[in-house]
Amino acid sequence: MSNIHMPVYLLVVLLGTALVIPLMAKMTNRIVNIFLTYAIMIAAILSVFTLVNVLLNGAFTYHFGLWHPSYGIEFVVDEFSAAMTVLVTVMSALVIIYSFKDVEHELEGHVIPGYYTLIFLMLFSMVGMTLTNDLFNMYVFMEILSLTSCGIVSIKRKRENLMASLKYLMLGAIGSISILLGIAFLYMVTGSLNMTISYDLIQNAWSIYPRNILVALGFILTGFGIKAAVFPLHTWLPDAHSTAPTPSSALLSGLVVKIYIFGAIKILFRVIGINIISEVGIPLFITYFAIIGMIMGSVFAIGQKDIKRILAYSSVAQIGYIILGIGLATESGLSVSLFHVVTHALMKSALFLSAGAVIYQTGKRNVNELNGIGYQMPVTMTVFSVGALGMIGIPGINGFMSKWYLSFAVLEAGRPLILLVILLSSFLNAIYYLPIIINAFLRESKDRENILERDQVPKSMLIPMGIIAGLCILFGFFPQLIMGVIERAVLTFFNI
Amino acid sequence: MNLNAAFIYQNINYVGSSFLFVIGLYTVLTHPNLIKKIIGINIMETSVFLFFVSIGFIQGGQAPILNLEGKPVLYVNPLPSALILTGIVVAVSITVYALSMIVKIYEAYGTIELDEIMKLRSEEANE
Repeated sequence: MSNIHMPVYLLVVLLGTALVIPLMAKMTNRIVNIFLTYAIMIAAILSVFTLVNVLLNGAFTYHFGLWHPSYGIEFVVDEFSAAMTVLVTVMSALVIIYSFKDVEHELEGHVIPGYYTLIFLMLFSMVGMTLTNDLFNMYVFMEILSLTSCGIVSIKRKRENLMASLKYLMLGAIGSISILLGIAFLYMVTGSLNMTISYDLIQNAWSIYPRNILVALGFILTGFGIKAAVFPLHTWLPDAHSTAPTPSSALLSGLVVKIYIFGAIKILFRVIGINIISEVGIPLFITYFAIIGMIMGSVFAIGQKDIKRILAYSSVAQIGYIILGIGLATESGLSVSLFHVVTHALMKSALFLSAGAVIYQTGKRNVNELNGIGYQMPVTMTVFSVGALGMIGIPGINGFMSKWYLSFAVLEAGRPLILLVILLSSFLNAIYYLPIIINAFLRESKDRENILERDQVPKSMLIPMGIIAGLCILFGFFPQLIMGVIERAVLTFFNI
Repeated sequence: MNLNAAFIYQNINYVGSSFLFVIGLYTVLTHPNLIKKIIGINIMETSVFLFFVSIGFIQGGQAPILNLEGKPVLYVNPLPSALILTGIVVAVSITVYALSMIVKIYEAYGTIELDEIMKLRSEEANE
């Protein structure tokens, strides 16, 4: 049942769906939705099969057109890329099923086919960027990703969306230009765009051309820092993620930002190598930004009124956790950062989707108006509470497990002071998440009595939300389900 | 490294591209006019393209066309030029998208000066 071409079929399914959707504009929404469900399900199944194949039979490489990797494009399908592809496709399958009803409510009818085209192109580029082992190919996928995500932000045609999208586009363009310049500096040294070949050459070239490699690292890390919204470069994120249509906010916040982090991890560990980056002191440098981000992201979130802006600022803080794991530059540090990628994708999607359901039913975005909403929408607010408590780090939800692993990784790396930062950041999370839950369940709303009633939200929105919340709790109790795969994935970065 | 005139002359494309990069970045960061910002991004992109193409260039090298006469010929590296062709397409699409967005912003706000837009937005927020 497994086939070496499966990762490519996966890309073809996503790209083909994106191209077919505009042709289906005349058909009814129902047919289009069924088609999209099948397409994303097929993609998810293909990625799961790829992962199973890799876990059973080991990693393999795929050469396009059978060109030798030093000229052609190479895909590396190993534990890391296969597992992260599964994350991308499964999460997006849930979010896309959720989005059918929500998008009808939120967008004008004639832009909906365009919206799904952009979503599928975005998925295509995310999967491609995870799989590729070629620097320039990664740049091309990254550009597709940034253009489509800007398109998704601007699809609502409101004034705020246009400005947010333009800001995102400008900063994204500066980021990708600096990444391209960094790739050019690396290419000057190595003469090859393949990551594996570059790695071998750079180990030898480090003593001869240290300046080139340093400058390249600087440009590439700055570029990925802008795109992944590492703290001082995060200014585009709150605007873009809070104004985008809600289902795509979940995708943008849960997945797109992580893909750029994968790019940075690949450059740091697969192209430059752990020895050189530790010699230069880059991990320590990254840790400082991570710590500032973990605290300042939460501090900014406390001051916000709009529920989606709170979630967006919270993403900035959570990216700090992921970057901190990378900054430890140990096996346990990197595995905790990948674990938190999965955890945060689940929790942030649960939060964004439940916030979207609240906006869908009541139209309220201001947190102060959400008093007593827990009686009106019990299921939705339960999902929200699961996500929020996970962000704070209550045991039993996967967010706790990633903090737990992160604390162990920090102690193992010999930096116990960072534990205080993790604690402080958790308290700050509690400051802005707990009031929402308390207001929702324990306060009375002004205009109605507190009588428990069923959510007035369509089932196609409730079920994906429920599944995501269920996964959050499942991985809270059985973190080994993902940690087992991730520990194998991390080894691919250290034993080259 | 000795920075004499001959060294700079030999590496004039690298020097030029770094100047262009800085000019572009300065334009993006300081000009309030959105179209000028897009021009700045274009200048930055062009500088990176110049840089990338310069890497493949060899003094006295020829275009890499199959040589049937059998004489050994020095070729320039064609790969950077081919890559930059893709890069130019990407740059064009970003520019087009940004310009179309600026048209929409002009329709929405009536101006393309960033400081005036910010003033309008803060007035909206304070109401």
